[in-house]
Amino acid sequence: MIRRALQVGFSRGLLTRGLRTRSGGPFNDRDGKWAEFKKKLQVFWPGGSWEPFTDTSHLPPEHADVVIVGGGVIGWSVAYWLKRLEARKNALRVLVVEQDPTYSMASTGLSIGGIRQQFSLPQNIQLSLFSIEFLRNINEYLAVPDEPLLDIQFNPSGYLLLASEEKAAVMEHNVKIQRQEGAKVCLLSPKQLKDKFPWINTEGIALASYGLENEGWFDPWCLLQGLRRKALSMGVYHSHGKVVNLVSSVRSMMTSSGEQVDLKRIYEVHVKVDNSLECQPVECAIVINAAGAWSGEVAELAGIGIGSPGTLQGTRLPVEPRKRYVYVWHCPEGPGLEAPLLTDITGSYFRREGLGGYYLGGCSPMEEEEPDTKDLEVDHDFFQKKVWPYLAQRIPAFNSLKVRSAWAGFYDYNTFDQNGIVGPHPLVSNMYFATGFSGHGLQHAPGVGRAVAEVLLNGNFNTIDLNPFSFNRFYRGKKVLENNII
Amino acid sequence: MLKILTSTFMLIPLTWYSKKPWLWLNTTMHSFIISIWSLTLLYHDSDLGYNYNNYFSLDSLSGPLLILSCWLLPLMIMASQNHLAHEPLVRKKIYLTTLIILQLSLIMAFTASELIMFYILFETTLIPTLIIITRWGSQNERLNAGLYFLFYTLMGSLPLLVALLYLHNNLGSLHMLTMTLVAPTLDSSMSTSLLWYACMMAFMVKMPLYGLHLWLPKAHVEAPIAGSMVLAAILLKLGGYGIMRITAFTEPFTSTLCYPFMILSLWGMIMTSSICLRQTDLKSLIAYSSVSHMGLVIIAALMQSPMGFMGATVLMVAHGLTSSMLFCLANTNYERTHSRTLILTRGLQMILPLMCAWWLLASLANLAQPPSINLLGELLVIMTSFSWSNFSLILLGTNTVITAVYSLYMLITSQRGKFTDHIYPIKPTLTREHMLMTLHLLPLLIISTCPKFILGVTY
Repeated sequence: MIRRALQVGFSRGLLTRGLRTRSGGPFNDRDGKWAEFKKKLQVFWPGGSWEPFTDTSHLPPEHADVVIVGGGVIGWSVAYWLKRLEARKNALRVLVVEQDPTYSMASTGLSIGGIRQQFSLPQNIQLSLFSIEFLRNINEYLAVPDEPLLDIQFNPSGYLLLASEEKAAVMEHNVKIQRQEGAKVCLLSPKQLKDKFPWINTEGIALASYGLENEGWFDPWCLLQGLRRKALSMGVYHSHGKVVNLVSSVRSMMTSSGEQVDLKRIYEVHVKVDNSLECQPVECAIVINAAGAWSGEVAELAGIGIGSPGTLQGTRLPVEPRKRYVYVWHCPEGPGLEAPLLTDITGSYFRREGLGGYYLGGCSPMEEEEPDTKDLEVDHDFFQKKVWPYLAQRIPAFNSLKVRSAWAGFYDYNTFDQNGIVGPHPLVSNMYFATGFSGHGLQHAPGVGRAVAEVLLNGNFNTIDLNPFSFNRFYRGKKVLENNII
Repeated sequence: MLKILTSTFMLIPLTWYSKKPWLWLNTTMHSFIISIWSLTLLYHDSDLGYNYNNYFSLDSLSGPLLILSCWLLPLMIMASQNHLAHEPLVRKKIYLTTLIILQLSLIMAFTASELIMFYILFETTLIPTLIIITRWGSQNERLNAGLYFLFYTLMGSLPLLVALLYLHNNLGSLHMLTMTLVAPTLDSSMSTSLLWYACMMAFMVKMPLYGLHLWLPKAHVEAPIAGSMVLAAILLKLGGYGIMRITAFTEPFTSTLCYPFMILSLWGMIMTSSICLRQTDLKSLIAYSSVSHMGLVIIAALMQSPMGFMGATVLMVAHGLTSSMLFCLANTNYERTHSRTLILTRGLQMILPLMCAWWLLASLANLAQPPSINLLGELLVIMTSFSWSNFSLILLGTNTVITAVYSLYMLITSQRGKFTDHIYPIKPTLTREHMLMTLHLLPLLIISTCPKFILGVTY
């Protein structure tokens, strides 16, 4: 009776569980914990399979200041310039994470390596001008002691862009801008074109612009390996793995109009190592998205674009992979050594490959006919139907040719305005973009690398102002269109 | 004495029986009450100090250091709240228990009246510190750091054990009070020199002396915030305190045998100050600044003059508070950007202006701005050293200038200039952080109004 009275009287006090039971705090479930302890002891008792110090050299470091997602030419260029522009040696710990060390699907290795200054945006022209200066002096930038010098194999054959009657005014305007920026481009009338390049059929051409200097093509693999070698020698860490998660801390704030905005800060990158189930969390201060065709997926991991459309929160990164084909053919009667990289009014292009009468070329398909991007299989019919007829019409010598091989590669295609995205994201404050170049990423890589390093270290662009390429334009709807897309 | 010891010991059951929402509040509150009480120990009415029993005594040298150590425990607990937030409850309690055990050993070390007991507790402080650095530090290098820290200190203190046992054998007792009454029995021979160096090495490694300082940047940088705070503020002072106690035995020889250490300190101060100018890691900069300031303490303590001892004591207390405050400030940066690199957290004055005020005050204290007690300590040391050798004035003057340069460099790089885009949306300063800075700065400012309490035995 007393116990019941006590229970009733002190029901919310000390005797809620009755007089005999008491919470032992951390000593609850003593028996279960002892069994667990014995199991743990058995594992590392001598004779067990547990090793105190396992080899973790294949894992990325547990902490990095800057994590660059993507080890293509843009990623390694950013890493190189970060190390080059940091104020003191070893100030920053940079980690480059690349999911495929064979670069089998990366855009860099599959690119045809062209570089031109014939763009319509001043920023693009400036980027190309800096890049060609970088490439011409590549050994001053990227030489490593006791290692062989780089041979970028630059063919300075120039680009020849052809324009029909409707596009002639735009081309003239573009050439004016290019000349203002310092590119050496000249305009050719159809007759001058015929005199210079007798193998062209000038029917339908109103104007042509020809790059006289600093244009041509080079070996993209050499640039990538050069940047990689130099960055590694300057102390950049690299890891072969896939970024599977970006953990961030969130701060919710209200705008003056009452809308809720989530400001995020990524503080951990989870890297899943190749061919293994191991996932290493890398604590980081800054993440750079240089993942090329897969940048959209990486951005989604950070929560970019997850929200109602029309808001800043819901604006996705509009970069997706687009497959482009390149065909190599042999034509002994072809244009020969003087052939520049010619872009026809129909969008098809070709260039000389090597010295044995081989040429390569392709065409950007129409929006409706985009091939699917699940693999890199080549569609040979595309050449027969969409590329060859136009090329053969423009260069009669190409009427008889033999296709030797073909490959396909991805463009990191910016579906909004086909120009790069450079700079920080407004909401995820420590993610910087360097992606979406839609086919001209390789030629802009040195310039973009330097720009991203500048904005990261100094807070603004010092040399080339890439503010028009910021992420904000997707929210504002301001397209930064490039007229000369190949 | 039992008031402090028992209450600090009872903090351990307090942590283990606290429920989750009360854990931090309980421990912080109770350790704060202990530290407020310990402030009463500032008053010393006799030269002999307080003699509690055979084993524990307190005089005007160990009193301020004991109070510093008690004051820092609540601050360490407050500073650790954030980085332990995601750990399971048991692990948080283990961390707090380690801190409390460290605190107990420190209290007993500072109040030990027998030198062997002091030695044992000196070694005991190594173990909880090692646990904190290697288990809760944040990077791979912490294993290396723990190794360096442990073995440097152990190698240094093994000769000290031998020397103490020899002295005890000869003198019969190593009690502090009897030390001053014993006539020196050492003759000037090689073995005495060896004895002297054996006595000094442990404390030189602990201080650290330039040349034996390699463990410090590693340990300070890799330790979590509470580890850095206790290392910089108190463990280094164990070395200074030890030097001042043990030189009572080695009376006439110190003035001749101290030359190598004096030269290393004078040169090392300038060297480590210059290294600070080239540092890219913020915590590393503050760690090297600690080495530089402790060089001054070594000079003062080896001088064996009244002004020297005053300067050494003041500088130890002042540096403890300043250095701990700088580490807390660096930790606030680290918690927001997850990086310790100086160049990635710039222009903070625009974003966190009140934190900039704390940065300013801490940097000014670091460069010995009048009227702080840092200046008092440095001036006393400079005067002492000048009386030993006129030439040392040049070196000490150069060190003062370079200290000012790197303190201002740290302030300007982290606070002024244009901030980078990834900085602007960082979390605003928490009240806990403001409280931490205030509790560091307030004692510093209040003591400068009446510094006689911390001027040590020779005032």
